Amino acid sequence: MEVVIASSSIDAGISCWDLESGAEQLRYRSCSSPPHGLVCVGRRFLVSSQIRETSSSSGSVLYWSWNKPQAEIKSFPAEPISPLVSNSDGTYIIGGGSSGNIYLWEVASGRLLKKWNAHYRAVTCLVLSDDESLLISGAEDGCVRVWSLFMMFDDIGSQEATHLYEHNFSEHTLRVTDIVSGYGGVNAIVISSSEDRTCKVWSLFDGRLLRSINFPSVIDAIALDPCEHVFYAGGRDGKIYIASLTGDSTSGSGYGMHIVGALSDQSKAITCLAFNMDGVKLVSGLEDGTIRIWNTKSQQIVRMFKHAKGPVSNVLVVSRPLCLNPQTSVRTQASISRRNASLLPPPLDKYVNSTDENADLKPVSALHGPHSRTLDDFYCSYSVMNNQIKELQQEGSSAASELELERLRVECKRSLQVAQQWKKMYDDLHHFCANELVDGGQTGGS
Amino acid sequence: MVRSKLPSSKKQQKRGVDFKKIKRKIGRKLPPPKNATNTEIKSKAIILPEQSIASERVGLAVSKKGLTLKELLQQTSHHNAKVRKDALYGIGDLTLKYPDELRVHRLAIIEKLRERISDDDKVVRETLYELLKSVIFRGSKEDMSGPFISLIMAYIFNAMTHLAIDIRLMSFKFFDLVVQHYPSSFLSSAEKVLQNYGDILRKNHIFLDDRSKLKNALVGLVRCLSLLPFVNKEVDSPSDNSNNARGTLHAFEPETPKEHTGVSSIIKALEGLLPILLNCFQELTPSVRVMPQVDAQSFDCMSYVLQSIDLAVRFFVYGNNSCQTSFEVFVPSMSKGADVIVWGKNTMLMLLKKLLEVFPLSPIHHPTEKDDDRYYVLNIGIAEILMHISESIDPLAILEEKFLEFIENALSGQILCNTRSSRSVREKHLVSLLPFIPQLVSLVESNWKFRLLQAFTKAFKGCKPDSSLNLACLSAIEEMLLPLNRKVTVFLDTSEPEILDHQISWIRELPQLLVHLGDRHPSSSKVILHLQLRLGQCAPMNPSLAWEYDNMQNSLIEFYSMLLDEAEDEGGIHYGPFLKLPRDCQELSISSLYYFSSLDPLLLQSVASCCLCNNLEPYVLFRIIEVLHSSYKAGHIHIADYISFFVTLLARFKVIPEKFYCAMEDNEKISNRGTFKALTDAVCSCLSRIGDDTLVLQILQKTMVSELSLNPPLDNKRAMLRLLLLLDSRPTILPEESISNLANSVLQYLIDAASYIPENSADESNDSNQIWICKYYLAPCFFLFDRSDKLLTLVLNLMGSSMAENNSSFPSHHGTICAFDQSSRISAIASILLFMHNDVKLQRALSSCKAEIRLILRNLLSAQCPHGDDSVADFG
Repeated sequence: MEVVIASSSIDAGISCWDLESGAEQLRYRSCSSPPHGLVCVGRRFLVSSQIRETSSSSGSVLYWSWNKPQAEIKSFPAEPISPLVSNSDGTYIIGGGSSGNIYLWEVASGRLLKKWNAHYRAVTCLVLSDDESLLISGAEDGCVRVWSLFMMFDDIGSQEATHLYEHNFSEHTLRVTDIVSGYGGVNAIVISSSEDRTCKVWSLFDGRLLRSINFPSVIDAIALDPCEHVFYAGGRDGKIYIASLTGDSTSGSGYGMHIVGALSDQSKAITCLAFNMDGVKLVSGLEDGTIRIWNTKSQQIVRMFKHAKGPVSNVLVVSRPLCLNPQTSVRTQASISRRNASLLPPPLDKYVNSTDENADLKPVSALHGPHSRTLDDFYCSYSVMNNQIKELQQEGSSAASELELERLRVECKRSLQVAQQWKKMYDDLHHFCANELVDGGQTGGS
Repeated sequence: MVRSKLPSSKKQQKRGVDFKKIKRKIGRKLPPPKNATNTEIKSKAIILPEQSIASERVGLAVSKKGLTLKELLQQTSHHNAKVRKDALYGIGDLTLKYPDELRVHRLAIIEKLRERISDDDKVVRETLYELLKSVIFRGSKEDMSGPFISLIMAYIFNAMTHLAIDIRLMSFKFFDLVVQHYPSSFLSSAEKVLQNYGDILRKNHIFLDDRSKLKNALVGLVRCLSLLPFVNKEVDSPSDNSNNARGTLHAFEPETPKEHTGVSSIIKALEGLLPILLNCFQELTPSVRVMPQVDAQSFDCMSYVLQSIDLAVRFFVYGNNSCQTSFEVFVPSMSKGADVIVWGKNTMLMLLKKLLEVFPLSPIHHPTEKDDDRYYVLNIGIAEILMHISESIDPLAILEEKFLEFIENALSGQILCNTRSSRSVREKHLVSLLPFIPQLVSLVESNWKFRLLQAFTKAFKGCKPDSSLNLACLSAIEEMLLPLNRKVTVFLDTSEPEILDHQISWIRELPQLLVHLGDRHPSSSKVILHLQLRLGQCAPMNPSLAWEYDNMQNSLIEFYSMLLDEAEDEGGIHYGPFLKLPRDCQELSISSLYYFSSLDPLLLQSVASCCLCNNLEPYVLFRIIEVLHSSYKAGHIHIADYISFFVTLLARFKVIPEKFYCAMEDNEKISNRGTFKALTDAVCSCLSRIGDDTLVLQILQKTMVSELSLNPPLDNKRAMLRLLLLLDSRPTILPEESISNLANSVLQYLIDAASYIPENSADESNDSNQIWICKYYLAPCFFLFDRSDKLLTLVLNLMGSSMAENNSSFPSHHGTICAFDQSSRISAIASILLFMHNDVKLQRALSSCKAEIRLILRNLLSAQCPHGDDSVADFG
C-alpha cells in the first residue's frame, strides 16, 4: 500500500494518507521536523529529527512504529540534527548536524559508527546515490560534497588523502536547499538547488558542473523524473517548474533557459516534492499546510490533503507493509503493538564508543524483516564467523584438520596408484628382458 | 646576271682558240657550277585557327604581367632566381585579385610552392614566406585539411635537415607559420620538430656572430612548446563555461583521451631538448655577464631560452598532475602512490641543480637601471622554473637562503627602483611567482614564513587595485585563507598569532579595495566579492576569522551607501559602487550579506537606502529581500531590525510623482508602480512568514500608525494599510488608541484617493481606468472599515467635522501642495460616501452609523447653500 507521509515544521505530528484511496491513516503525534528530517527506515518505522530551540545543546531524534501514534524511542545526539537519510535496508541512519558534522549510526545497535566534520556550516540535506555507496551532502555554506562511505571507514586511506570528500562543488553562493541523485551509480547526475535561485546539474563521476539553470524564484525542492529527461523544481512563488535535462535547450515557456514549463495553481510556496512509485504522481507539500498531488502526464491536480496550519516540511511516498495496515489488524493491534515495541531498535548513541574492543572488525547487523521470528539468528552469527576465521587463520580448527586429512588421503591414494603403475611397468620390462635373453640363448644354442 | 655573261664568253670561245684561258679578276666570285643544288629554304608562316581556350588571355585570371597561374607556377622552378621571385610575386598578385583561383587550385599551388621552401636563394625564400603568410594561409583559413598540411610539412622537414644553415633556420620560420595558422599540426609532428630544434641549437657556433638568428629560432620554439597539452592550466580546468552549452547531459564523453597518444614520444624529445637548452643558456650567461651593458638581442635570447625551459617543465609537471587526478576517484587508497611515474624526472633534477648553481644572476659590472630590470626578469624566469620543478619533484630542494631572499626582495620590492616603466615591468613578471607563494610559505621554517608573509602583505598593499598583480595576490590570499582551495595538506597553522595577523590585515583590506575599485573594474570587483563570499561561507572554522568577517560590515557600509549628513533629509545619500556594478557582482555581494552572523543595523540601513534608489533593478531589489529573509530565518538579523527594514521600504519607496500622473502613458512610471506593488507583496509575504501574525502586528502597529500620520505619498500609505490588513484579523485586534490615531490618516488618505474619481469627462475608457485606480486605493480602507466599526465611525465623524471647518487646510501630496479647496473636498467626501454606499460589504457597517452620516449630510447642506453647489444634491 502506497502511503503519503507528511510532517510539518510546527508541531503538527505526522500525517499519513493512502495515495490511492485518499483515506487518512493513523496520525503520529508530536513531531516538528526540519526540511529533509523525516525518513522511513527500511519500511519498518518512521524516524524524524526535531527542531529544537537554539539554546538546547543536544538534538533529538524520534522513532515511531507504524501502528502507534506516540513516539516510542527518543534519542538525543550531541548536537541538533536536521537532515536524515537511511539506506533502503535500514542498516544505517545518517544525520547532518548544525555545526557541519555528519553522523553515521547503525540502526540495529544504535551505535554511532562514525562522525566526521563535513562542512563549515549546518548541513541542510543528505542524499545517498542509487547504489548507496556515495553520500551527497549539501550545506548552508553553499557547498555540495560527495563522500564515499567506503572511504569513511578506510582509516589508512583517509589519513593519506588530502581531503576526505571525493568531490566538492562550491559553485552555489547561498544555502543548498535540496539535492537529488539520478540512476547509474557513480555515473549518475546530481542536481542541487539553492537559495541563489539556481539549480545545478553535476556529474558524479568527474565532479564537473554540467548545467546551471536560473529560475525566476528560489527553489526549495526538486524531484527527478524517473526517466531523467526532466526534473521538477518547486519554487517559492508557488509554481513547480519543469526543467529539461535533455539536449535541446530551446525554451518556449518564457521562464528562462532550459525551463520547459510549469505546474501552477496560484498557490503558496512549494516546500517539498516527492514522486510516487510509478513516477507519474508528484506529491508536493506547500507552505500553507496543504499537500497537492499532481498527475505529471495530464498536469492536473488529482488530490489534495490538508496536513496542518503551518508549512509542510517533508513529504514521503512509502510503500507500507500490508500486514501493518491498521484496518486489517485493528483487532490484534494490542498484541502486535506489544510485540513490535520490542522490535524497535535501541536509541542512537550520543558519542562514538572508543572503547570498542575490536574496532577494526565491526559487524554489520542488518535490520530484519517484520516477519522474522527471532532476533538470535542475526546476532549469534558474527561471533561464530569470527571464531571460524580465526581458526582458519591459525589452521588449528577441527574443520581445517579434517580438510587436511582429506587432502592427504587423496594424495596417498594417488601415490599408491602411481606405485602400482611403476611396479607393473617394471614387471613388464623384466618379463620382456627375460624373454629376450631366453630367446637369444635359444637361437645361440641352436 | 651570271647567266647573261655566260653566253657572251661562249661566243668568244667559238670565235677564238679551243682552250682560251679565261682571265678572272681576283676577288671575284666564281660562278656556281651548273649542277649546283639550290639550298635556299623559303618558308611562310602557317596560320591555323585557335584550338585551345587555355591560352586565351581575355577573361582569364592573369597577373599584372599578363601571365596565367599555370605559367607562373612553371616559372617558380625557373633556373633564374629573379624569375622565380617574380613568379612568386605574380602568384601573390593573381590570388589577391582572383580569390577563386586560390580556392580551386590550392592544392596545385601548394604542390608547386613547397619546392621553393628549400630554395637556395634567400630572397626567394623570403618572398615565399611573405606569400604564404599574407595570401595563401589567410585565404584558406576556413577549410584546413589534412592533405594540405601534410603536403607542405614533408618539404619543411626536408628543409630542416638541409645542409645549408640558412635554409634550416628559414624552415623553422616556415614551420612556425604553419603552426600559427594550424595549431593542431604541431602535435602530430612534435617529436620530429623538437629533435630538429635540438640539432640546430646544438650547433651554437653559428649563432655566435648573429644572435638575431638564434632569437628567431627560439621564438618559434616557444610558440611550439606553448601548444603542448597541459601547458596552460586554465584550459583544462573543470569549471569551463562552455559546458553550459553542451547538448545532452547523459551522453558519453565523445573525446577519448587522445592527448595521451603521442605523449611518450614528446616526453622523450623534450628530455633530449632540455639539456641542449640549458647548455645554450649556460653559454650565453658568461658572455652576457661580462658585457658592460646587456644588448637587447642576447637578453631576448636568454629570456626565450628560459621561456622554453619553463614551458617544457610545465608540460612535465601538469601532464603528471592531470594524468593522476583524472582517475583518482574510486581507486582504493592502498593501490595509489606506488605507480606514480614522474615524467622527465632525471632531466628536471639535473635542471634544478644546474639552475640553482647560477641562480641569482648578477652582473659583474655595476648595472644601469635598465640592465637591472633585465636581470630581474631573468631571475624571475629562473625562479619560476625552479618552483615548478620543485613542486613536482622535491619541495624542499629550493629552500635555500639565497632563493628565499630573492623571493622576499622581489615581493617587498627592495630591489625595485623608482621609475614608472621599470615598476610596471617588474609587476608584470612578479605575477608569475605569486601562485607559488602559498606552498612556499607552508614549507619554510617559521622565521622565513613571517618574513615571506610580511613581504607578501607589503606587495599586496602596495599594488594598484586594478592591476593584474592585485588579482594574483587575491588568488594567493584565497588559497592561504580558505581551506577549500588548499592543495597542500600541511598548511599555515592559523593558531599562530603572526600568521593570523596577516590574514586579518588581508581581510581588512578587502572592503577598502572594493570601494577603491568603484564601478570601473567589474572583473576585479567580482574576484574580491567572490573571495569575500567564500570567506563568509567557511568563516566558522576559526572564531577570530569569523569575528573579522563580521567586522567587515563597518567598512562595507561605504560600498553600499552612506548618509552624508544626518540633518539633511534626502539628497544627502552618497551611493557607493554597489549600485553601478553589473548584476552578477551585485548578486555576489548580496549573497555575502547572508553569512554575517549578526547583521549590523547600520549596514542594513545602508542597504535599505540602496533599495530605495530608483536606479536599482527590481530583480536585485527582490533578491535582497529574499536573502535578508533567509538570513533572518537563520537567525542572523534581529527581528526589530528586520521589521524596520521592511517598514522603511514601504514608507519611503518613491513611486511616480503624482503631478505627472496625467501623462500616464509613460511606461517607466507605470512599471515603477508595478514594482512597488510586487515589493509590497514580497514584504507582506516575508512578514507573514515570521510567525504568529498577531504578535508581529503588535510589534508593528505602533510604528506603522506613526508613519501613516506623517502623511507619506498615497501609494506608500496604501502599502502600509495593506500590510496592516494582512496581519490583522476580522474583527480587528488593533488597540483603541491606534485606531483613533489611524482615523485621521485614513480620512486624509480617502480624500487624496478620491481625487481619482473622474469628473464629468467625455473619455469613457479613461474614466473606467480612473475608477479602477480609485477602487484600487479605496479597497484597503473598506476592508479596515469592515473589520472595525469604530474606525468607520471615527472617520465619518471626522468627515463631518472637517466639512464644518471652513478654514481648515490639509496639505496634499498630489498637485501643488496647497490647501484643498473647500468645495472640492466636500465633493470628494461625497463621492467617497457614494462609493462606500455601493460597496456590498460596507452596507451593513454603514447602517449602524446613521447618525454620523446624517451629520455629514447636514454639514453638506449647510456648505451647499452659500456656495450654491448642487453636485451632491442627489445623494440620499
